[in-house]
Amino acid sequence: MASIAGGSLISFATKSVQVEVDLAALVETYSRLLFRVAHSVLRTRAEAEDVVQDVFVRVIERRRSLHAIRDMRVWLVRIAWNLALDRRRRIRPEQMDESFAESLAASAVSAGERLEQAQRMKVVLREMERLPKAERQVLLLSAVEELGTAEMAEVLGRSESAVRALLFRARTRLRERLEARGGER
Amino acid sequence: MRNSEETIEMIMAGLRDAEASPGMEGRILASVEARASERRVATPRWAWAMAMAGVAAALLFIAILSIHRHGQPPAQAQQHVLPAETARDAQPATLLSQKPIEFNKAVAPRRTGARIRSEEAVLLSDLHTPSHPAPEAPLTQEEKLLLRVVHKGDPQVIAMLDPEERARQEAKSEAEFQKFVEQSGKDVHESDQTTE
Repeated sequence: MASIAGGSLISFATKSVQVEVDLAALVETYSRLLFRVAHSVLRTRAEAEDVVQDVFVRVIERRRSLHAIRDMRVWLVRIAWNLALDRRRRIRPEQMDESFAESLAASAVSAGERLEQAQRMKVVLREMERLPKAERQVLLLSAVEELGTAEMAEVLGRSESAVRALLFRARTRLRERLEARGGER
Repeated sequence: MRNSEETIEMIMAGLRDAEASPGMEGRILASVEARASERRVATPRWAWAMAMAGVAAALLFIAILSIHRHGQPPAQAQQHVLPAETARDAQPATLLSQKPIEFNKAVAPRRTGARIRSEEAVLLSDLHTPSHPAPEAPLTQEEKLLLRVVHKGDPQVIAMLDPEERARQEAKSEAEFQKFVEQSGKDVHESDQTTE
């Protein structure tokens, strides 16, 4: 009631504070999720962090139309997803996969085992990149645990059943390709 | 088979468990606010530039409009109001023979579908009224001298062209001279006698 009464007296400074409070809350709530979304595409911490920052810059730019956004969480994820895909076009896949594979293999006991594991991961990541675009995107987005099928469908602009089918096909194709590679060796 | 599946799962787990470096939220917040404040400062400059561009465009539009209105009168109208002196400069032979200036009585083309402005309406009405030649201009000094040079039929000059008449005139003139000389000599002699 008090806020309604004082509504007409909102100054620019008060508005600015309001935006800051909202922004801080948004960053607090969504930055980790957005980071993971961006990281699934870019596989580099620094790049993913830059994407999250760009997402909130967009939020500031569109702050006047924020009230019209139906689902803030999906909207933010979609922005992060698109910005990450856009940024990924400027990065060589080998560049981002090498350090990621090495960081994952770091848990291995011996150095030799660590090297072998990193090598295997790089092969899998390369095969993931070779998947059809729609399947690859669904597979990568499915890695973000916080996102359900409905949200993934909304982000990718597909139906839930299509997302499920694409995910199944992606995993099957990836497995088959890796087995074929193993057989060749 | 097992190895591939395990590796895929490891990668998916790695992507799932990816953690941002500590303090990411603070860094993002500070950076976004810095960018936002930069934008706030930059906006007036941008607005000023836009305003200046708008004013320049408006001035240009007005200039083009005024040139279009006043800078290009119809060709027929220009011909109609041609001053007599200008016409004389262009065609001296016509003037020397004292012929009146001929005016082009071309009719202005009809402008269908276009709104005729008031100025154009005046010009069109001028074009449609029957035209009259301009009043005869007074002769210049040079023209007067030229006329005097080429003037013919002076009786004295014509008479002098006849040899008999010329001889008679010369004899008459000679006689008048002799008479004058004799008269002068007689006058001098008489005055000498009076003095003595």
